[in-house]
Amino acid sequence: MSERTEKRTQVADVDRSLYDFTYSEEGYERYEDGLTPDIVRAISEKKDEPQWMLEMRLAALDTYHAKEMAPNWGPSIAGLDMDHISTYVSPRTKQAKSWEDVPDDIKNTFERLGIPEAERESLAGVGAQYDSEIVYHNMREEVAKDGVVYTTIEDALHDPQWEPVVHEYFGTLIPPADHKFAALHYAVWSGGSFVYVPAGVTVEYPLQSYFRLNAEGAGQFEHTLIIVEEGADLHFIEGCSAPKYYEANLHAGAVELFVKDGARLRYSTIENWSKNMYNLNTKRARVGADAKMEWVSGSFGSHVSYLYPTTILQGARSSCEFSGITFAGATQDLDTGCKVILNGPHTTASMDTKSISKDGGCNTFRSSVVIGRRAEGARATVSCQSLMLDDISRSDTIPAMDVRNATASVGHEATIGRISDDTVLYLMSRGCTEAEARTMVVGGFANPVSKELPLEYAVEMNNLIKLEMEGAIG
Amino acid sequence: MAESTLDARQDARPTAGHVTLERVNTPPAQTWNYLRANDITLTVPVHSRKGDVFFALPRLFEGVECGMGPTVTAWAESQAKDAHYVEVKAGEKRKEPIAAQEDTGVMVRAGAEATIVICTQPDGPVQDTTAALVRVIAERGARVHLLEFVCGGSDQRLDSVGIVADEDARIDVRQFFLGAGTTAAGLAVALDGNRARLDLTCRYLGREQDILDINHVVRQRGRNTHCDVRESGVLDGHAKKSLRATIDLVHGSSGSEGAELENVLILSDDVTNKTMPVILCDEDDVAGNHGASIGSVGPEQIQYLRDRGLSMQEAEGLYVRALFDEALICAPTPQTRAAVLARATDVLGSEVANDLVDGLGLRDAEEV
Amino acid sequence: MSNQLLRVSGLSAGTEDKPILHDVSLAVGAGETHVLMGPNGAGKSTLGHVIMGDPAYQVSSGTIEFDGKDVTEDAADKRSLAGIFLSYQAPVEVPGVPLYSYLRTITQKRPELKMTARKFRARVGEIADQLDMGSSFLTRELNVGFSGGEKKKIEMLQLLLLRPKLAILDETDSGLDVDALSVVSRGIETYRADCDGALLVITHNTRILERLKVDRTHVMVQGHLVAEGPASLIDSIDEHGFEQFEKASAVAGGERA
Repeated sequence: MSERTEKRTQVADVDRSLYDFTYSEEGYERYEDGLTPDIVRAISEKKDEPQWMLEMRLAALDTYHAKEMAPNWGPSIAGLDMDHISTYVSPRTKQAKSWEDVPDDIKNTFERLGIPEAERESLAGVGAQYDSEIVYHNMREEVAKDGVVYTTIEDALHDPQWEPVVHEYFGTLIPPADHKFAALHYAVWSGGSFVYVPAGVTVEYPLQSYFRLNAEGAGQFEHTLIIVEEGADLHFIEGCSAPKYYEANLHAGAVELFVKDGARLRYSTIENWSKNMYNLNTKRARVGADAKMEWVSGSFGSHVSYLYPTTILQGARSSCEFSGITFAGATQDLDTGCKVILNGPHTTASMDTKSISKDGGCNTFRSSVVIGRRAEGARATVSCQSLMLDDISRSDTIPAMDVRNATASVGHEATIGRISDDTVLYLMSRGCTEAEARTMVVGGFANPVSKELPLEYAVEMNNLIKLEMEGAIG
Repeated sequence: MAESTLDARQDARPTAGHVTLERVNTPPAQTWNYLRANDITLTVPVHSRKGDVFFALPRLFEGVECGMGPTVTAWAESQAKDAHYVEVKAGEKRKEPIAAQEDTGVMVRAGAEATIVICTQPDGPVQDTTAALVRVIAERGARVHLLEFVCGGSDQRLDSVGIVADEDARIDVRQFFLGAGTTAAGLAVALDGNRARLDLTCRYLGREQDILDINHVVRQRGRNTHCDVRESGVLDGHAKKSLRATIDLVHGSSGSEGAELENVLILSDDVTNKTMPVILCDEDDVAGNHGASIGSVGPEQIQYLRDRGLSMQEAEGLYVRALFDEALICAPTPQTRAAVLARATDVLGSEVANDLVDGLGLRDAEEV
Repeated sequence: MSNQLLRVSGLSAGTEDKPILHDVSLAVGAGETHVLMGPNGAGKSTLGHVIMGDPAYQVSSGTIEFDGKDVTEDAADKRSLAGIFLSYQAPVEVPGVPLYSYLRTITQKRPELKMTARKFRARVGEIADQLDMGSSFLTRELNVGFSGGEKKKIEMLQLLLLRPKLAILDETDSGLDVDALSVVSRGIETYRADCDGALLVITHNTRILERLKVDRTHVMVQGHLVAEGPASLIDSIDEHGFEQFEKASAVAGGERA
């Protein structure tokens, strides 16, 4: 491990407030709590949207009110009272192209999260959302020269070149009727990113969007729409965090990814929402022939999560890889996993997930693999490992497989267990304390996922694990 | 003697109508409803029992969780003639198998051993619906062998079984779901006592328009309990199969191990195979494993079998024959063997069916 | 010699991206015992699998004749019924199929072996006794969970049951302990004595050959047959190894290039 990494680790060890700080939202524009057509109209009007978008929002609001949560599965969201959630909170600032133009309190937030530094060093572009609006958006010039577009959905809607593209794709992969919180998302969405990579273009460095929810009792509903044209290649990183409040916060974003024939998209997420967050996020990718979708997902935060990135392997020989880790500590009930639908012939999917439960946290790994009738020779493998760190936590594994083709093959394996005493004893016999030994084992357990991340994020994830592990041993 | 009442069949009583049983065979933890894998809905006949006085099982059995769930238990109890209670005395090694009927409760006292058989009757006119509700209490150190043969005889078959195992009880269950039509089967086993153990083998065959819906639930509550669940089957034609297998490692079950494995062989593109292998874990000092492998015969296996002279089709057919071979080997009574054989004749033809019997040397025993 | 049982002529074969066998010619007469030796990776097993008709390998030129017929294009099951048997180096596990069901099914396919199930059972029991196998293995799944030695015994059991005209034994002796090796050797002897079948023994170890009367020895190096000779060639290999042939192969390869 490099010197720099070590230094970061040490800093992180003492700096528990890395994510847990707030700034006053005085002077911000905050819409009334609750959900009414008037609020939806107000959001739309403020954004000066095309009529079709307003109509979509209002229809989605009706769908939201009409739909019920499934009564027979999933963690409780009883603590979420929509009448007390503000769906729109905006800082009084315009979107900036330079960090100098971002108000100090917001800039400080992102400085502390290391975003501008990462941008200078290893990113092709950055978007930063604070509460409901994007406050900063910038991309390297050479990337823009290749025709790559990285902007907000709002800006794309105001651009005559891109408005029709957004209209064509927006809401087609995740329809508003998908589930109750998808409908809510479409009613009140705000912020997020629009990315377009032209055919054949390889974006050398990742693009990153960072989402920060500062306001208490508020919701964040960003929409991410990424189109990677034929033969193009992109790595997109999404980071999320929020300070701790006692009032419930809600995140109901939507991510729609279109990966065209022969293209490749890697979508990495490190999510560290605070533990009063209801994270009901929906992510979906449609993958064309010979194209590849890669997901890397680390979930550490939130009070309740429902998160299952979905991949539809539509084109022949398309493929998908999913690596995910979920860490559930005290008061957390995290229902995470993935879904893959193999429709094209000779499609392949491999999913590798890890979960760690401690201090009474609940982890549910939920997955589905559906192999359609026409998916000749399709192959899917699912591997799921769960680690229980104490006897007051919980870990459930609920996979489902639906296979309708005789030439397809599906393999599934799952194990649940704890750190073996032998391993701990072995490491202790070599001089580690018990806490160090256990942290080491958990780090090794998470390694297959963290090695998929760019260095900075792998370090961040390891720090999160260390922070979570502190105090895990009584 | 017991053989004559082997099948839990509805006899020719007047049917008052039909009733729809919803959310049957639901597992303890469910998933996305749009997958339609969480449960099955069944329409079953009801006979009016108004004014009848009939014997129910001792109240004790009400506490036994049954695999198909409470609606099926209530329906089966309401439709059965007298409940059938059998007690195997402490320490008794009962040789003669107990033939389970429509509503049967078996108490296997401490240290006793018993074999319980559930079997359909494929001979005679095909019934609309037949069912068996079987509850078993295995006391400390008891050994229970449960054998289940569903070999046709009705368009729809319901088997709901619940077993509770006390300390050091050993339960082994072998299920053969080979019948035509709709088969819905649920099995719940509670390993309540320390060191209780379950070995479950389930083999199934689905072909033509068959519907097969299986729910296995194992609750591991005692310390150092052990469960090993092996499921495998062959699906052909337009068969639709759902298998839910849940291992529930309840808080306090420290030292327990639970494993579940399913192998599914799919021989046709019109098959629908749904598999939901669930592990629930509320304890850290446990080991839970499950695995599933779904697909056609592997290329290595196919090549090995072709090298020994089998065509592709014959190689696949071998897997079906193997199911019947195994069922026959396990069948403990002339009646159960006859049931398996009758079904084998339907599926494989009489030549192969006779070959099965001859090869196992069973004919001699039966003719004597 | 037109009365050869197996005649491989000018055979070149390999996988999609890699040629393995080059211009291999070899003939085995009925009832003869041939040995195919060579260092690891020479292509010996490939030759065995190509003769059996393994679709993993493609024949790019040459022919395989068996019992007077060209079988180059035939599928493996057809070759098997014609009388070729390949004993696997690593027998494949076939979950879901008990050994008994399997043996009965492969035997019933051959008109010359048709017998009543009862006789069949007795016959299997007899062979199992010869091979020191218990009877419980019959209800176990084919090769699943068996040790290496047990798997080889199951291969021998099939050999004795099917009575092929030609048995190709692919490294049947590898990884066996002394006891298992002696049982397998006994199986091979019984096959020679009872069935008068021909043998092509693929090995890089001469121990299993001590109890066999070998008619011809072939040496393969890098996919070429580089030497053929009488049984005494084995002793020379025992003493000097394969180096002498490796040079020859390098020359052959050089000429090609």
